[in-house]
Amino acid sequence: MIDQFPVIIVLSPMFGALLVGLFGARNHSVCFPVAIGALTISLIGAVVTAKRVFTTGPVDYFLGGWDAGKIVEGVEIPLGFGIQLRVDHLNALLLVVIAIAVLLVSIFAIRRQSEQDTEKTHYFYALFLMLSTGLFGMTITADAFNLFVLVEVSSLTSYGLIAMGSSPRGTHAAFNYVIMGTVGASFYLLGVGYLYMKTGTLNMIAIHDILHMNNEVGNAIFDSRSITVAFILILIGMWIKMAFFPLHGWLPNAYSYCPSSTSCVLAPLMTKVSVYVMIRMMVTVFGLDWVFQHFDWSNVVVWLAVIAILAGSAFALAQNQLKKMLCYLIVAEVGYMVGGAWVADSGRWGLTGSLYHILADALMTLCLFLTAGILTRRAGVKNLTDLDGMFKKMPLTMTGFIVGALGMIGVPPTCGFFSKFYLIRGGIDSGHWEFVVALLISSLVNAVLFFRIFEIAFFGKKPAEGHGHHHDEDDTAADAIVPTEPGLRSLAPLWITAALIVALGLMNGSVVEFIRQTPGLILESPVKAN
Amino acid sequence: MKWLALIAVIATGSLLIYAVSDFPDWGSASSPANGGVEGAGRSVSQTFIEETDTLTHVPNIVTAVLADYRGYDTMFETVVILAAGMAIFAILRVLRDTEKPVDQSKHDPSIDGDHQRIIIGTTCRLLIPVIQLFALYVVAHGHHSPGGGFQGGVILGASFILLGLATDLETAIARFSEKQFIGLACVGIFIYAGFGVLGQFYGRGFLDYGALQPIFMTDGEPMARSHAMLGVEVGVAFTVTAIMFAIYANLASKGELKNGL
Repeated sequence: MIDQFPVIIVLSPMFGALLVGLFGARNHSVCFPVAIGALTISLIGAVVTAKRVFTTGPVDYFLGGWDAGKIVEGVEIPLGFGIQLRVDHLNALLLVVIAIAVLLVSIFAIRRQSEQDTEKTHYFYALFLMLSTGLFGMTITADAFNLFVLVEVSSLTSYGLIAMGSSPRGTHAAFNYVIMGTVGASFYLLGVGYLYMKTGTLNMIAIHDILHMNNEVGNAIFDSRSITVAFILILIGMWIKMAFFPLHGWLPNAYSYCPSSTSCVLAPLMTKVSVYVMIRMMVTVFGLDWVFQHFDWSNVVVWLAVIAILAGSAFALAQNQLKKMLCYLIVAEVGYMVGGAWVADSGRWGLTGSLYHILADALMTLCLFLTAGILTRRAGVKNLTDLDGMFKKMPLTMTGFIVGALGMIGVPPTCGFFSKFYLIRGGIDSGHWEFVVALLISSLVNAVLFFRIFEIAFFGKKPAEGHGHHHDEDDTAADAIVPTEPGLRSLAPLWITAALIVALGLMNGSVVEFIRQTPGLILESPVKAN
Repeated sequence: MKWLALIAVIATGSLLIYAVSDFPDWGSASSPANGGVEGAGRSVSQTFIEETDTLTHVPNIVTAVLADYRGYDTMFETVVILAAGMAIFAILRVLRDTEKPVDQSKHDPSIDGDHQRIIIGTTCRLLIPVIQLFALYVVAHGHHSPGGGFQGGVILGASFILLGLATDLETAIARFSEKQFIGLACVGIFIYAGFGVLGQFYGRGFLDYGALQPIFMTDGEPMARSHAMLGVEVGVAFTVTAIMFAIYANLASKGELKNGL
């Protein structure tokens, strides 16, 4: 049973989606228990598998019984014959974080979704569960083409989820996202095609082994132009998917004009998983020696990341809408992770910090978007000024918000502080001072942004009494709803996320130690199958 | 913006041309994708070509690669199709009852309307059964010739679309209702994944068709793989058929599944 868990993590939400599709239309009350059940199984699977990785090292799972090296009917099966799943130190914790996030959002979404668009609840849950399948599958797979298929699963479902909201701007944003996302996925696929052309395999570990063969043929492939082009194409494809600065255009509108339960799952997970895919490609497929010594675009990419961080922060400062501001913060955070992954210090602290930040940022973004979702619905908050006096009106919700905000700023007990610590250490060790400066400036900007919100929400810009009366007809959104605390179904996910932000921060030592055991991350020895 | 687009296109184009110089020879048997990389052991494609008959008894290697060796990919390709269908339902489908006046012009028997109906109706009555029969042939013969679940499913779906185009959407939906096509789409993947999960019940891996030998009561595991491949192809065909028609029905009627084109 325990051997089957890697594949069960991916399959369980898929079966959930099928059940919702079959029975959800007749009876909407089926959707919620099925979603919770399916995602709980995934969470258990992710935790058990991560524990296995912790005790015994990387876990491999071969689909269809085509294990590498196995003898079937007298034929020895080569690596890459079937599709391989692999859980190692790089993705074990990410799987757990994804599982936690989708489970919490599915709890959070239940009432919200049913009130917005009652008769389409089952479509929402079917798409949501398929999106979870896609995210799990992208994270767990060790096959470059299989990754593309699951990128498609997660992209198509997210286009649908974004366009589901009734606002026309959301539909327009979803259309932009369809175009950009398809371009990104095509670039990735083209890159994988080039890799296949030069190596004759799609298995990530097999590609790595062929690239690093210590003979003439291997060296020719290692130096070949096609491999360089393949890497550039994959990199650009993933940059589009993760909204890296000049390619971020689709993100702010897509994530701010969609239903709040959708933004809660997409904002924390989609971009982070794309960053993970980039790092997986660098570490496992091409190998860090190829990326940093042969390809060596470290300086260029770190400068791009610096621009991304500064631009994201500047745009965030200029926003009046809460969700838009959070979206631009995501753009800045993507800059952190790409920059950290590319600083190329010999101790690999930048890369470690980047991997740790994927986990940290997923939780922090989830926390902030959950709060934004609650505030939008319970208090009609859209602009920052609508937050006026919110601490008095909804103290329980705002407590969760404080934790997320402190994490974004980087205040010590939260995980945001430690990820910045490792990223800065990587920047200093490698001499990329511009990256260090950008990180510090961005932290300052975050502090300004969130303390501005605290000020509005805690002290209030206007007297809270005057604002409550219906004297202004134009300001209906903010005044029509009397802010009240949401139920436990909204608050519990928020508080669990806030607690996890602190817990991940306190456990940073062991988490980082775990991540640094990734094969190929620090040791120069190649990744070997089994 | 136009200049930016031009620069992006030129940059991408020159990147692609830059790589051309060290492409392997066109169609060469010794290129990595065909013959593998020297010194890296027996390559995947060589094993596919030489051993498929031993491993699965399937004459069409493409089917074996698609439905067995990389069956996990194909399952998720089918999920992609289901996701596309579900997304279109989620966006377009109008479930609230809207009392719109029925468009009479479509049902108005104009001067030569009846003649048209006779010609079109007769043609459809002759064509649709043949199309459907051919679709089933394509699904069933995926093993031996080009074809398989995706192609057969598209042809089968097209036959329903033809019916919808030739008459009206209600006529087609009377034969293939909304409940039926959503159900069929989900059942298709259930069939596919079900074959995989059966393998797990026998203590083997997911999608390990060889484990199904006791169920199919075949002589050896290769034949069981061959049978299971037919099974999953049928599952794929179900989903593709249903989603093809579902997408048409939604787009043609703006999600109301009434009147239509």
